[in-house]
Amino acid sequence: MTEAVVQKNRENIPIFSPYTDILEKEEGFYILLDLPGVGKEDVELNLKENELEIRAKARIPEQEKVKNIHLEFVPGEYRRQFTLSEVVDKENIKASLKNGVLTLFLPKAQEAKPKKIEISAE
Amino acid sequence: MVIDLSTFYDMPRQLDKLLDTFFSPTTISQRKFAYPPVNLKEDEENIYVLAEIPGVDINDIELTITDGSLVIKGERKSEKGNYYRQERPNGLFQRIINLNIDIDKDNIKAKLKDGILEVVLPKAKESKPKKIAIEQN
Repeated sequence: MTEAVVQKNRENIPIFSPYTDILEKEEGFYILLDLPGVGKEDVELNLKENELEIRAKARIPEQEKVKNIHLEFVPGEYRRQFTLSEVVDKENIKASLKNGVLTLFLPKAQEAKPKKIEISAE
Repeated sequence: MVIDLSTFYDMPRQLDKLLDTFFSPTTISQRKFAYPPVNLKEDEENIYVLAEIPGVDINDIELTITDGSLVIKGERKSEKGNYYRQERPNGLFQRIINLNIDIDKDNIKAKLKDGILEVVLPKAKESKPKKIAIEQN
């Protein structure tokens, strides 16, 4: 299984905390979440003040008359919350989903970007 | 007569343990730390292998079938940057799935969608179940 089960929701679907990378680059922060089995329409992103919440539902194709022989992962829900720092420009957060990985780009606010200071020679 | 019930007093916990072993897939095999996680399914016609491989391009996955086993090989690449947290696995991976059945190797299909790889392995004719007619005297 990819992640630890955090809890189970009312419908008894397991809720996973997805594996996450958080990294900083010059232009901003990236949050990468492994959401295997999640399509674009199954992701919900909520930003409430400084709290960013991600909810997603994995769809694993169910077939009729197919017997399970061995299971290591099950369809479930993904949930995770992040607290954003003041440095982030909240208006311009971008999200994209590719191959089951959700990439969030959190640009740095203009004031927080490193500035080059010109040295003037006299 | 004294009946010693002490072993039964621990029943709830024993039951929990028992249920855990049923429901945790790790006990079916030693595969707890194997990557990627794999589900195996079958019906009369095919064997289905599903694997969770998010973030890997189809070109970076190599599927090989040899006698009796399917090999999934690939690499998870990581971004460059200053990491605050790194939980997602990265690097080379390989997983071998043993198939104790003859496979029609020419008709294997594989697709990758939303980070889940699905391989359909059709069973060879010889290994499909056949009904045997019983003659009446």
